[in-house]
Amino acid sequence: MSSRISQIASQLDPRSWSGKSLASHKVKHDDDVVIVATARTPFCKARKGGLKDTKFDLLCMQMFKSLLARSEIDPTLIQDVVVGNVHNDDSEYYIRAASLAAGIPNTSPTLLVNRFCSSGLMAIRTVANQIQAGEIDCGLAIGAESMTNHAGRPYSFSQELNAASQEAQDCSMPMGWTSENVAGQFNISRQKMDEYAARSHNRAAAAQAAGKFDAEIVPITVPDGQGGHKLVSADDGIRPSTSAQDLAKIRAAFPQWAPSHTTGGNASQITDGAAGVILMRRSLANKLGKKPIAKYVSCAVSGLEPRIMGIGPALAIPKLLEQTGVKKEEVDLFEINEAFASMYVYCVEKLGLDPEKVNVNGGACALGHPLGATGARLVVTILKELERRNQHVAVVSMCIGT
Amino acid sequence: MIPPSPPVSRCRTQGFAGYNLAWSPFFENKLAVASSANYGLVGNGRLHIMSLGPGAVAPSPGLMVEKMFDTQDGLYDLAWSEAHENQIVTASGDGSIKLWDVALNDHPIRNWAEHTREVFSVDWNNIKKEIFASSSWDCSVKVWHPERKTSLTTIQSHTACVYACAFSPHNPDLLATGSGDGHLRLFDLRQPPTTGVGGGGAVAPPTLEPVATLPVGGEVLCLDWNKYRPLTVATGSTDRGVKVWDLRNAIGGVGKTLSTSLPGRGQMPVAALLGHEYAVRKVAFSPHSANLLASASYDMTARVWDVDAGVQGMASGMPAVGGSGAMRRVYDAHTEFVVGIGWSLFHEGLVASTAWDCETHLWGAMG
Repeated sequence: MSSRISQIASQLDPRSWSGKSLASHKVKHDDDVVIVATARTPFCKARKGGLKDTKFDLLCMQMFKSLLARSEIDPTLIQDVVVGNVHNDDSEYYIRAASLAAGIPNTSPTLLVNRFCSSGLMAIRTVANQIQAGEIDCGLAIGAESMTNHAGRPYSFSQELNAASQEAQDCSMPMGWTSENVAGQFNISRQKMDEYAARSHNRAAAAQAAGKFDAEIVPITVPDGQGGHKLVSADDGIRPSTSAQDLAKIRAAFPQWAPSHTTGGNASQITDGAAGVILMRRSLANKLGKKPIAKYVSCAVSGLEPRIMGIGPALAIPKLLEQTGVKKEEVDLFEINEAFASMYVYCVEKLGLDPEKVNVNGGACALGHPLGATGARLVVTILKELERRNQHVAVVSMCIGT
Repeated sequence: MIPPSPPVSRCRTQGFAGYNLAWSPFFENKLAVASSANYGLVGNGRLHIMSLGPGAVAPSPGLMVEKMFDTQDGLYDLAWSEAHENQIVTASGDGSIKLWDVALNDHPIRNWAEHTREVFSVDWNNIKKEIFASSSWDCSVKVWHPERKTSLTTIQSHTACVYACAFSPHNPDLLATGSGDGHLRLFDLRQPPTTGVGGGGAVAPPTLEPVATLPVGGEVLCLDWNKYRPLTVATGSTDRGVKVWDLRNAIGGVGKTLSTSLPGRGQMPVAALLGHEYAVRKVAFSPHSANLLASASYDMTARVWDVDAGVQGMASGMPAVGGSGAMRRVYDAHTEFVVGIGWSLFHEGLVASTAWDCETHLWGAMG
């Protein structure tokens, strides 16, 4: 009976008049933005994992090559190359060189985007917006981060900024502080954080064992640190036998900030990696005979108090659903980046999401979080899972530092 | 605009909300109404056989319930057999399809239970008179023979509830379907089914591929074929629009093989008739005039449109509310959602409508 009521209610929903409904987004238009290829590198622990001797430029070049190989499209079709990266020095130069070295013609320019942890997602959005605006027909978007090669550069704000606004001052605080603020303000228990983190490891381990990540990863050849080369083909941060009890034994990472619930076990790992997609107008995909993997519909961003930046998805997801007219129940799968288990617990519970629909193959607690790359990785992962489940609607969301 | 006027006749179906009606193709004064208790949300269904009393249409024809058949779940649609004057097929909320002989009492003569969710539409083929089609909220469309225990064909193409299906009145192998996935699709039953590849690389069972797919706008709730112009179809949808489509544009030429679908062509309606204030639940082309179309809506009205005026309006610019002068009549004597409508096959210009106000009305298309 309830399904009949909701069926009729949806027919009467004024959102269907303006095309704001799932049904209207499912309609295929020639001008749709579609994803025709996805790929990622293995995600490997920074400074000790498989990519520790791989420089940022090489990581980018290998990522570009992987995507071109996966898509089998003529590189001259790519009209813009957009890279999400947060903190690799002088990355603008390196991405341009990497693009040329990968065989993308010099007529395709490169653009760097940086919105901290969501930079990979913003790279995809930037290309999609260009296609929607009619500026280009095809573009390549990746996120890449070599956290091994991050230079630790302390920053501080001018006294005038700090004096003018407490929130401005808060922006200089480490991310760990914001995680503790979320745990403290919203009463997220250490136990719950450890449970969510353990589940992330267990799901990622199951996905890896089932070969799910092999379907996403393109193995890449990189320096082995001893003058030779090696093939890296698997993620190396997943700990299969992790339990909440094990994680409970890990000491607090930030004893200086209450409630000190965040640990190395219930936060994202520090990792190297890259992921990306090729987007094009549906009419071009049809012309080329490329089967679209997914349709990009929309993106929403939202700001909030820097001191609890982690809860961003709890604001951005409702905004996106309102914007598109898609109902929460109509979404088959969610990916919410596990920057910290505190914010991840909060977002899932605040939004009332079914845990069986969120991060079904684990998240950054297990796979790691190469800042600029993760947004693109979440898209690659969720699209493969939709395909496996023969489902249709996915939402990817992340919190963004400050 | 012509002011509203009362019906020529009305008939109550106490406790049962009308879902659709169908005029008998054999008896000029007979029609049937599929209905459901509690607005079809939960509870029983009832098939009403009605007749016009002596005196035909004027001055008081006296629409009366002649016979009733009760069912366990709500009835959403019905179609008279084109071959047997006493047979009616009904679509039920429990996923069943039942064949009735109205000369008998109480029980259906056949019952099929292949659909896994609500069956929302049935249509009898008026050329190959031995087959009929059904569409369901389980996303599938099926073709049936009354003497067979199982369906002849199952079409799995839509990705949401299929609210409507109808055979072409000109070509018995063409079946049009409308769905909550926003598409109008056309199938050619002569084509061999193709084996598709499902999710995860699994091989899906063979199914028919559509020869034309048109994005309509909103969820497609109903459709009907023009009786005079081959390959002209009207749709009603949740975006409040009644739209007319020339499928020749979508499938690349009449008379040619229907196998080549040219994407991008024929994606625009030839007329968009705007005026309903809520979703359009039923459209029906006149059996007597190529240009007349009736529609029923959640806005509690039924309307009559001159499609040709709408086509001209469309050709000369953007479609306007009122269909650029195409709207010929607003019938607003119903007091709840109007969800079923049908033109008399024998009395030109006489329309029947049925609604959630538990009434079936007869009225004149031109006032």
